[in-house]
Amino acid sequence: MSKKLLEVQDVLVNFGGVTALNKVNLHVSEGEIAALIGPNGAGKTTVFNIVTGYYTPTSGRVIVDGESVLGLRPYQIARKGLGRTFQNIRLFGDMTAAENVATAADSLNKSGLVGSLFGGPRSRRDEAASMEKAHELLRFIGLDHRALQMAKNLPYGDQRRLEIARALALNPKVLLLDEPAAGFNPQEKIELGELIRKIRDRGFAVLLIEHDMSLVMDISDRVSVLDFGQKIAEGTPVEIQKNQRVIDAYLGVAEDAS
Amino acid sequence: MDFSILISDFWSLGLDGLVVGAIYALISLGYTLVYGVLRLINFAHSEIFMIGTMAVYFVVLQFGFTGYEDPLPLIKFIGIFLLFATVAAIVSGGSAVLLEIVAYRRLRNMGASRLSSLISAIGASFFLVEVFRKISDSKNLDFPRLINKDPFFTVGTLYLSADKVLVLVGATIIFLILNRIINHTKLGMGIRAVSQDERTAILMGVNVNRIISYTFLLGGVLAGVGSAFYMVFYETTKANVGFLVGISAFTAAVLGGIGNVRGALVGSFALGLIQQYTSAVLGYNWRDVVTFVILVLVLLVKPTGLFGEALQKARV
Amino acid sequence: MALMKASAFNLRDKFGDWWDGANSAQRTVFRIVLIGIFYALPMLNNPIIDTPETSFSSVLFYPLIMFSLMAVGLNVVVGKSGILDLGYVAFFAIGAYTHAVLSIHTPLNFWEILPFAMAFAMLAGVILGLPALRLRGDYLAIITLGFGEIVRIVAVNTEAIGGAAGLTDIPGPTSILGIEFTVMDPRPYYWLTLTLLLLVIWGVIRLSHRKPGRAWEAIREDEDVAEFMGVATLKYKLWAFIIGGAVGGLAGAIYASQIRSIQPELFTLNLSIMILACVVFGGMGNIWGVILGAVILGYAPEKLRFLSDYRIIFFGLLMVVMMNIRPNGLMPRKKREHFQEKSK
Repeated sequence: MSKKLLEVQDVLVNFGGVTALNKVNLHVSEGEIAALIGPNGAGKTTVFNIVTGYYTPTSGRVIVDGESVLGLRPYQIARKGLGRTFQNIRLFGDMTAAENVATAADSLNKSGLVGSLFGGPRSRRDEAASMEKAHELLRFIGLDHRALQMAKNLPYGDQRRLEIARALALNPKVLLLDEPAAGFNPQEKIELGELIRKIRDRGFAVLLIEHDMSLVMDISDRVSVLDFGQKIAEGTPVEIQKNQRVIDAYLGVAEDAS
Repeated sequence: MDFSILISDFWSLGLDGLVVGAIYALISLGYTLVYGVLRLINFAHSEIFMIGTMAVYFVVLQFGFTGYEDPLPLIKFIGIFLLFATVAAIVSGGSAVLLEIVAYRRLRNMGASRLSSLISAIGASFFLVEVFRKISDSKNLDFPRLINKDPFFTVGTLYLSADKVLVLVGATIIFLILNRIINHTKLGMGIRAVSQDERTAILMGVNVNRIISYTFLLGGVLAGVGSAFYMVFYETTKANVGFLVGISAFTAAVLGGIGNVRGALVGSFALGLIQQYTSAVLGYNWRDVVTFVILVLVLLVKPTGLFGEALQKARV
Repeated sequence: MALMKASAFNLRDKFGDWWDGANSAQRTVFRIVLIGIFYALPMLNNPIIDTPETSFSSVLFYPLIMFSLMAVGLNVVVGKSGILDLGYVAFFAIGAYTHAVLSIHTPLNFWEILPFAMAFAMLAGVILGLPALRLRGDYLAIITLGFGEIVRIVAVNTEAIGGAAGLTDIPGPTSILGIEFTVMDPRPYYWLTLTLLLLVIWGVIRLSHRKPGRAWEAIREDEDVAEFMGVATLKYKLWAFIIGGAVGGLAGAIYASQIRSIQPELFTLNLSIMILACVVFGGMGNIWGVILGAVILGYAPEKLRFLSDYRIIFFGLLMVVMMNIRPNGLMPRKKREHFQEKSK
């Protein structure tokens, strides 16, 4: 069995009396594309906010590559190997595409402010490395021709992809994608699916939140289903499609989600 | 440090603390209400209060009082005070609505950053202070004594005087009215709806711009009434009177939990008491330093205040 | 209005095109000529630019170059990182008092004190920043506002540093490179400040183009996301605060050495707001913009007497109007975008 890179163990989250997540267990293994699905308000994004350290769970554990990350600040968790994108695109709008990616790449080196000011050899090397990484990733997602444009001026689809490049710059053990296909047309969805496979083939495990069932069923190795903060099912896409509890949870939602 | 005054005047300091607290409460409610609907501190609210004091001063000039007359009979004084409060409420309320239109509305509708709104409000605040500094020629504007402030009732070291009773009773009446408005009127429901979830409020057909206007109006009216009490109690004002009063009222709102009406009341009375007692020990000059330290401590240790919601992380 | 705007932009773009196309020799010549003009400014005796009340060379020192220096410092905090600091005057005051107290009570001279002035201001930045920078924007603003006022109140109430009367007979800088610093002639102070300003600009630009600059911008754009992308946000916000503080402290020390007597009343909130207005008016985040803002807002009240009486009214109004009409200022920060053909 391959190594688990991200584990969520018995995570319970209470927001002022409302249970957003109820003893949820999830994991993402090396080399896998895992998906997290569920009706709106099921707690999917809350899972991302918990594992990236934005919220602290009421109880339970979050483990990244064998190490508990509970109590760490989000930037520390990011450096340990979790990169994420956002349901509503949240790029650094007034920075160029390359700078967006380089900002995340920067966090992998230890150059400090004083070094940057006086330009020691190490900071020069790190600076070059960040920019190189930024351009390499932009090439990878096919945005190199946009490198010097402001993120806010990019077309919608490019913005979504730029978010992915930025998250990849962290060299994440697990890449967390929050509805990456939102607003995409069928052709773009197919391209996105290919991109996610390419990312997996580069050695990044992926955890995907997505409403588009055909995309999820097409690319995922394993699917977990959340409903009202509970994990109600887990299995291969084929198993999930047949699962009665999942069908019930989605009743009436399944039509417009495909 | 000298604790002798604290011990000898314990009860009268406490009474003054409550009186000052009642005035703070009327102002801090404006911070809290506006924060509720905008999720933004209204930096110019202290100037809304200042304009109220100026309006009261202007009204009293019209009566030609010099301060050397005999005190007014109680009934007549109450009548005049009601006039002060009404004028101040209208002027402050109107200014608050105007302020919202000029400094906030366009920015909000443009979807500008919080930073822009803050800077705009701060600009408006300084503009107003300086305009009134010019009008008042940088002077302290002294208010005549209209009522006999000699204590009419004494228990030990507790001296009860008419002005203090007026502030406490008057403020209590206002709080009861406010409670009614917020909990039992359509406007109150609108304010609560927008405070809880603006998007849903819009979906439910609430006109958010109008609710925000009314919220500024309500906050301004309360600050105006507060300024009338302030003038009777302190009997002086100046162009930058709002700054320190504003910091105190804001601290009170944070202490109670900003966005929370009950919190603003409790926080204000608590702060009034703290200020009186610490001033008695450290000296009046350090009062504002103490207030500031309290503000910092509350924000660091318990930013939700006594009753409030989590502030640091607005909803994602 | 629209036409004016368009032509101003063209000028800027034209300059940008020229700059991009210029070789390093051309750029160096341009820089030297420009800097030379600035050093020569106090020598000009031109009735058009002369100011009616005070001599032009003293206006050059205060407010023009002083405002510029402070605006560049505050810009790191407000413009680059998006942290609203309303108590910037506190750092200025700390620098001024450091020079005053140390030069009166110790044998240290101005040049030896300068590092202390900056260090104390930086320390104040850490003491205020460590707790305050954890808070959200509007709380931070009110805390810094309070801090600026508290520093003043403490100065008024502390007799050891002169209380409300302040400190007098503060020594000026000892002569350096044959230049004497006298009470009568403000020009050496201008040259000194200009030199330090150039150094500060060099440093800030260098940082802006590298990792710290990206971190600051990311924080300004979306602090939560910056944190998710591995940026140690608190650390970089603190650095912005410390750098802004150091520049403010530096300005304060020079100021105290020139005017020779200081009182707490010189360090009111109004000064914080004026510097903020310079930054907002010129263009938050653009170093050349904020200097332009400082020069215009410093100069206008000196040249136009009717403005000087209504200075703060005007500055306050300007902040409201700018935010509503042109929130990015006169000369917005603007990265020149380069469009490339798709390479594949």
